[in-house]
Amino acid sequence: MHLSTPRYIAWLPGLLLVAGAVLQPWLEATMARHMGLEFPLLFVIGWLTASAAGYRLARIIDPWNVKGLTALVFTALVTAFWMVPAALDLAVLHTSVGVIKVLSWLVAGMLMGVSWRQAGVVIQAFFIFNWCWMTVAVGLIYQEAPQQLCSVYLVDDQWNAGAFMVFWAVAVFILWLPGAIKSSNLLGDGDDSSKTQRTN
Amino acid sequence: MTQGIARTLAAIIVVVALGLLAFGGVTRGFAAVTSDGVRRVDLVRAPRTLPALLMIDQAGKTLSLADYGSQSSYTTFVTLLYTSCDTICRTSASGLAFLQQEIRSRGLEGRVRLLTLSFDPFNDTPAALAKHARSLGADATLWRSATVASPSDLEPMLNLFDIVVIPDGLGGYSHNAALFRIDERGKLIKAYDVDRADLALADYLYNKSEP
Repeated sequence: MHLSTPRYIAWLPGLLLVAGAVLQPWLEATMARHMGLEFPLLFVIGWLTASAAGYRLARIIDPWNVKGLTALVFTALVTAFWMVPAALDLAVLHTSVGVIKVLSWLVAGMLMGVSWRQAGVVIQAFFIFNWCWMTVAVGLIYQEAPQQLCSVYLVDDQWNAGAFMVFWAVAVFILWLPGAIKSSNLLGDGDDSSKTQRTN
Repeated sequence: MTQGIARTLAAIIVVVALGLLAFGGVTRGFAAVTSDGVRRVDLVRAPRTLPALLMIDQAGKTLSLADYGSQSSYTTFVTLLYTSCDTICRTSASGLAFLQQEIRSRGLEGRVRLLTLSFDPFNDTPAALAKHARSLGADATLWRSATVASPSDLEPMLNLFDIVVIPDGLGGYSHNAALFRIDERGKLIKAYDVDRADLALADYLYNKSEP
């Protein structure tokens, strides 16, 4: 059973990527699916790839990535960039930009998979707070925008895309919070002396 | 550890620099976030020449799009639509109807003219264009309707105006409409919001040279 788990993780990203490629026309037919399903899917595939690669990948990246900071900055920029409507248009209209989009999300997921734990709860909190409020804010703007944001997507689609963004921001925050509270000893277990070491 | 921090810092600087390049490129130096905004900036920075595409108008006469691209005393306001459209094209067309009214009341007949271009040459025959023009009360001396004579010219025409046409799921088409302006040099110089023909006119009146 123990042996089958790594193998399972090893082929899962590839399988998901193939599924994503097959479903690509469907995923990119609407703005909501493109932003709300395809982007997270690519990110998760990247993350799983990092898990499958294990220490080998971490050894290459670690010297340039103290506390996961480079990975966090990269991911923040990638996620913000693909929220720009003009960038989304280019990704749909030009294959080369579409390829860059896929690669950037995969790399972001991979870097985060390698770096997330080593970032520690304080840096995680900084990233999560900023990322979540940015995503909620952009999501609300998408929902409220009176004009057509993307040339390639209908104006009616924007509300759904915005709703997806708010959903992911809230979901990521809720997923992260319990572990963060636990590891930061926020609720206290009377062992204050070890607090600073634990966050490392 | 110190080496690690220095390397990480260098890596972050590279990542941020690449990020700024990407953001700056796509948003034209943080000037626009939508493709419509980008088109507006692009036109102002680099006015476009009108290619010699063969067109056919509502009277069945042929013309070249490049006829509008040469030096003249006219500014031309252009919008793109298809005549069986009931949504945004109505806004585009009513903008031109408003401009026609303003041209007459301000005595700009020798200086401003209007053009609607259809991107549905299959259905928008000269007869269909003429019917549409009549329904808008278009005065043929001021306002011409035309479409490409050959369907193969459709793509270059849409590219010139950066128009992306997508099915709207209701049997029609959605497109990133705008009101365009061709200046007296015959260059495509500006795009305005399709529902703000008033601003387009104000911009024209404010910047026009005195006769």
